[in-house]
Amino acid sequence: MTEHLASFPVLSCMLLAPPLGLFVLLFLKEEQQFLIRVVSLVAAGISFALSIYTFAAYDQKLGGLQFVEKYEWVKTFGITYFVGVEGMNAPLLLLTGIVIFTGVLTMWELQDRVKEYFIFQLALVTGVFGVFMSYDMFFFFLFYEIAVVPMYILILIWGSTRKIYAAMKLTLYLMAGSGLIIPGILLLYASSGIFTFDMVRLHAVQFAPWVQKLTFVMMYLGFGVLAGVWPFHTWSPVGHVAAPTAVSMLHAGVLMKLGSFAILRVAMYLCPQGFQYWAQLMGLLAATGIVYGVFVGLAQTDLKYVIGYSSVSHMGIVGLGLATGTVDGLNGAVFQMFAHGVMTALFFSAVGFIYDRTHTRDIHELGGFSKIMPVASAFFITAALCGAGVPGMASFWAELLVLVAAVKVFTVRGLFAIAALVIGALFALRVVQNTFFNEPNPKFIHYEDVSPFLGLPRMILIGFMIFFGIFPQVMVGLIKTSIIPFIQGL
Amino acid sequence: MGSVNPFFLGCTLSLVLSLSAFGLIMIFTWRRPKLSLAISLTVSTICLIIAWLTFIKLSALKEPLILSVDWMMSDQIRVPFGFLLDPTSLLMFVIVATISWLIQLYSIGYMAGDSGFGRYYAFLSLFALSMLGLVISSGLLQLYICWELVGLSSYLLIGFWYEKFSASEAGKKAFVVTRFGDIGFFMGLAFLVLNFGTLDIHSINSAAMSKAFPAWLLTPAALLIFCGIMGKSAQFPIHVWLPDAMEGPTPVSALLHSATMVAAGMYLLTRLFPFFSCSPTAMTVILTICTITLLLSSTIGMVATDIKQVWAYSTISQLGFMGMGLAAAGLTGGYLFAGFYHLTTHAGFKALLFLCAGVFIHHFHTNDFFVMSAKGGRRLLIPMVTVTIGALALAGIFPFSGFFSKEAILAELWNLPNKMWLGLGLLGAFLTAYYTFRVIFVLLFPRPQAVGGGHGVEEEHGHGHGQEEEHGVPWVMAVPLIILAGFTCVLGFLQAPIQKFLLGEVHHHAPNYVLLVSAVGCALGGIGMAWLDWGAKGAKWEGFIRKVPVVENFFIQKWYMDHFWRWFLNTVIYGLFSRTFTYNDRRVVDGGVDAVAFGTIGSGRLLSFIQTAFLQLNLLFMVLVLGGIGIYLLMGR
Repeated sequence: MTEHLASFPVLSCMLLAPPLGLFVLLFLKEEQQFLIRVVSLVAAGISFALSIYTFAAYDQKLGGLQFVEKYEWVKTFGITYFVGVEGMNAPLLLLTGIVIFTGVLTMWELQDRVKEYFIFQLALVTGVFGVFMSYDMFFFFLFYEIAVVPMYILILIWGSTRKIYAAMKLTLYLMAGSGLIIPGILLLYASSGIFTFDMVRLHAVQFAPWVQKLTFVMMYLGFGVLAGVWPFHTWSPVGHVAAPTAVSMLHAGVLMKLGSFAILRVAMYLCPQGFQYWAQLMGLLAATGIVYGVFVGLAQTDLKYVIGYSSVSHMGIVGLGLATGTVDGLNGAVFQMFAHGVMTALFFSAVGFIYDRTHTRDIHELGGFSKIMPVASAFFITAALCGAGVPGMASFWAELLVLVAAVKVFTVRGLFAIAALVIGALFALRVVQNTFFNEPNPKFIHYEDVSPFLGLPRMILIGFMIFFGIFPQVMVGLIKTSIIPFIQGL
Repeated sequence: MGSVNPFFLGCTLSLVLSLSAFGLIMIFTWRRPKLSLAISLTVSTICLIIAWLTFIKLSALKEPLILSVDWMMSDQIRVPFGFLLDPTSLLMFVIVATISWLIQLYSIGYMAGDSGFGRYYAFLSLFALSMLGLVISSGLLQLYICWELVGLSSYLLIGFWYEKFSASEAGKKAFVVTRFGDIGFFMGLAFLVLNFGTLDIHSINSAAMSKAFPAWLLTPAALLIFCGIMGKSAQFPIHVWLPDAMEGPTPVSALLHSATMVAAGMYLLTRLFPFFSCSPTAMTVILTICTITLLLSSTIGMVATDIKQVWAYSTISQLGFMGMGLAAAGLTGGYLFAGFYHLTTHAGFKALLFLCAGVFIHHFHTNDFFVMSAKGGRRLLIPMVTVTIGALALAGIFPFSGFFSKEAILAELWNLPNKMWLGLGLLGAFLTAYYTFRVIFVLLFPRPQAVGGGHGVEEEHGHGHGQEEEHGVPWVMAVPLIILAGFTCVLGFLQAPIQKFLLGEVHHHAPNYVLLVSAVGCALGGIGMAWLDWGAKGAKWEGFIRKVPVVENFFIQKWYMDHFWRWFLNTVIYGLFSRTFTYNDRRVVDGGVDAVAFGTIGSGRLLSFIQTAFLQLNLLFMVLVLGGIGIYLLMGR
């Protein structure tokens, strides 16, 4: 892979802006709430702006790794600080930027322990940025763990609905996943013979087939836990429900993508033969997740559970795309990671607004919200339509690519995934009907609609969703630049 | 790029403008009815002008005009967006633009004062966008995208009065049921693109005409695509959404039933006619399904008491009729003309019928035409005259447009070797005339005393208007009626020019007098029957079907199709799959995880008994273990 060094450390700035903000926050007092929010917003805003910049400035003709920064870290162990951008992680960096920025705006009204909240949120997002840009396995895993741990505290303190159980479950689950990942990484490191964590260099090494098969399945399961692969998905709906709004946004929007991205970036990239061996299983689990998620979601009555299970189903599409191992499938999978991230962030953001006021998420208790708060409802309905796979939204294209590629590679599984679309539509519209249509519940009739400022984060999310829905080539063209060499390298 | 063809520029412009009208209203002006109306109506007028200009300028078109650009290029999957302008699409383009313009005009009066006025016009713009895009699209995938958008906009419009449970339910039903068909469509597209390589409509049709498709590819693909058509064009057995769709505002029903939603299905069948007609199997299936649909909906129409429901079932039956015409033409090597011509005339008179019904509903605040009649429906002169014209056309009476197009379809059916289809077609024509004139006679000859407990009064909309009701019909509502009635009178005589436009030549058939007589006989017979039952002085105001109560009940229950789907949804989808999977998720998958966790805690607790802090016990344990090791070592040696 060609590497183009950065003239200005864009990526490091993107990565370091949140911890810098975090550092400033440490010196602020809890009473200075407005200042705390502004500092977090500025820190998130810098990262957001830089992520847009890298997305736009990435040279598609040149291809390869760009904005590369490489410094030796621990020479004895072969650890380097190695970050870069290519077609497959640029969209995810952008996604992280969008979600953290809108997440800070969404939590603007938070009153409880504001300082600590934003500190942990910025810590979390540092880890996420780090995972998406690192090309060194050590740093990759380090950031991965940084991203996972603050989640525990965020859910435990600011959460709702069985938060202790959910936080514990999530953390244990992810730790178990890490328990599989570390041996995998060390196995690769040890058997490479060159003792480096540099993924680009490791890619050149031909690992023995058994090493690849073993490592792949360990990493697939380990990272798969985070990606919500069926049947290791049950932590995710519970976690979504318990987490506070912006954490749900980050959690479903970005954190689950860490898992699927890691499967692509580490497992598939370094163990191509292992991938070939396990592809059938991956396809099976993913297709099961797609069908299973929508059916379980159909029976839920808590808005956040509904969204949680839709995530299981939509992440199944990502998994199915990865399992095809074709350019179209992988393009679709990466696109879906982005599209689903934006969509779920919007979902949770909209639900959060309603929940903060009504303190209920039961779809039977809600109702007629289009009458009470038309704008806030429009946000949720837009997200639901996106989830139902309506054209003109980003996820339509992603699903199109994945499903067609899947029909080609795994015909029956692909057809089942297509058939799940109708249940997906029923699923989304059922929630919309119960929550936003019909007669308004008189209990909630006096609530104010969303103000323009609070509407801003949702508008940003909708804007991105529709922009990439109308101009998918902006995204697909970029992703393709890295997927084509990636597939050739498999 | 050089110079771009002005026609393509026009097409692009009409789509972009409609989209921006939707966006502008939804984001900025939805709280301001007047401004929203101005935006939407301006855009709609521009589209109308563009459509007619294009139609007139290209009327002598020989070769289809195609322009497409790659909109999304993945590796093997490429999605071109573009326009295919040929006689079929041009005619449909004009129909869609005209009808949607008329509906927008009419809605000014109908929707006046509604709290969602701006939103309503935004959705109409979205509808226009998706339907215009569908009509002129050059590739099937683009068509599919617009097709889904048509589904989306009808979802939004059917459920427009969302506070009403029935409306929100109907919108959901429409979306989900048509999506059910679209799954087949999508699979068909995937199948086609993977095995044929392109989804360009022109290439598919050319390849089909040169017999380039192997049968294993052709028939499954055609049948799968037909699933989508069944959903959109409300064919048996997934027609159930359409009668419910009248929960939307009446102008929306007019739009849905004439030129947009349901017409999309038949339009696709026309569009891919050469492709479909290569597969006799597929065409036979289509013929069968369309015939069943025709009979089913005609018989249900005979017993409905809601005027919109009667028209809704008549739409389904006429769609079945179009499908029969196209399928018969495909089987006998005929042309697509008959079915498509009926689509054209039907668009005119069905929009007319619904808009007239809208005037009555607006005026009397009821959907029940028995009540309308009792309240003096016939005193509304313009709608009464125009509804009669529409009904005459629907029944197929000379000289109204429906007569000519029905005649053309029956001629196609005549060509089939098996005359059963013709017989069923004639039966359908008879029933259509009967139930249509049932409505007309009831409206014309009111009997206030007959309306008692038997017919419930349903309010269609209580919001917005109703308090102060000015009498007479506002001109914005009357003008579209008169224009459409004009179309209905004229279109029949334009058969030859339209045929020449569509096919490039006129195929003269020697008039088939047997067919002519029997068709007219059936239509007149139906009207006569209706006269005996509902019109004449001594009529009992009872359908002849009342004599066989079992059958009548079967028709009133809509052939139990709604029951079937309701059962399917509740028992199979919710009851079986959803509940089982949820149980599995709670108890097995999640239960397993929790069992592991609690097992760990439990075993920890168990082991913690060892840690008692009694030194004696620890010492004893140590000695025992050491002793055990010692014994093991001794024995091992």
